[in-house]
Amino acid sequence: MTVNNTIAHQRLTLTGDRERFKELLRRRLIECGWRDQVRMLCREIVKENDGNNVTFDTLVTRVTPRARALVPDTVKKELLQKIKTHLY
Amino acid sequence: MNTIISEFSMNDLNSKFFEIMQNEKSAEDAANFIYDNVYDDVALGVLFEFHHGLKTGLTELLEGEKEEDEGYKIVNSPECDVFGFSMLKKTPDSNCSCPNCDRPVSATRFAPHLEKCMGMGRNSSRIASRRIASNSREPTSYAGLLSDDEDDADWSTIHSERRKRRIKNNNSKKPAKIHKGNNGNHNSDSNDGCATYETMSANEKKNLLLQICGVVSEHTKKLCTRSTRCPQHTEEQRRALRNSVLEPSTPESQTMGLTADEAGSPPDSSPSSSCSSSSRKRDRHRAQPRNKKRDRNISPNRD
Repeated sequence: MTVNNTIAHQRLTLTGDRERFKELLRRRLIECGWRDQVRMLCREIVKENDGNNVTFDTLVTRVTPRARALVPDTVKKELLQKIKTHLY
Repeated sequence: MNTIISEFSMNDLNSKFFEIMQNEKSAEDAANFIYDNVYDDVALGVLFEFHHGLKTGLTELLEGEKEEDEGYKIVNSPECDVFGFSMLKKTPDSNCSCPNCDRPVSATRFAPHLEKCMGMGRNSSRIASRRIASNSREPTSYAGLLSDDEDDADWSTIHSERRKRRIKNNNSKKPAKIHKGNNGNHNSDSNDGCATYETMSANEKKNLLLQICGVVSEHTKKLCTRSTRCPQHTEEQRRALRNSVLEPSTPESQTMGLTADEAGSPPDSSPSSSCSSSSRKRDRHRAQPRNKKRDRNISPNRD
């Protein structure tokens, strides 16, 4: 299964459509305010650590799970739909 | 894994891909996988951006220093205003009782109230002093022309003259200014041209006729306010008017009217009479500004 997925992914990347989707998702997430929410999360973490030496890894490990939950369903569904119709 | 895939040629990849896409389930899987992959990319991008801003200080520069909210919070308690100051201190001050009438007056209105109530303050003291001055002056101005104390009388008439002129300039703007002594009041009335002899007392008529021509115009029914020597009306007209107006009063007032007539004709009157000379002075004094105004003011007595 993973092989199949990587094959599809690889093809998408090669045709340049992956980049298109990425840009679309980025724009949608900015539009719906997700990016600002994530920034707030990051700032909280920086505050907790008193602002000294917040490594990128700590940011990723602390923020990513919460950020994933913050993505609005509509955006996710739209993206999935678009990718699917592209694949078929 | 990636290395294996990269060994596929583009053709292999395509054929493989179409093979996979035949199966709907795997296609769905692939879509989800691609979405996750793309999302991770985007999330990482955002985090990178933030981390970069944090390390280079860009975030702080962009967002500025955090303000201390404590000092600016709105205080929400019944005894205080929004700044947290007590309101109790103010309330006893805001009502003062007037020492004159014992009424409670708000502090902001206290000074105007005192002004009205006690006659203090600029305007009312001005009015009061004027009232006092005119009251004390009146007896001298009535008897002044006949007594040897005529310097005083002269001064007072000239003075009232001046005031009269001021009223003439101002009376359109400040009708309240006409609160003056009897003198000023009637002069201003006659200047308005709407006074009639019926409304005046004998003393007032006398006083008035000493200063102005006073002949009643046929058209406007108003008094001529020019000097006693005014060229519009003849000596006869003036004398007749004085006789008719002053008739019901005492004989003394008639002599007054006569002296005024004498003053009105300087070539005839003897210069030895200090009274007439002084009034002549006064006439000259008055005639000059009056002539200037003649153009502007529609004079009621041009028959």
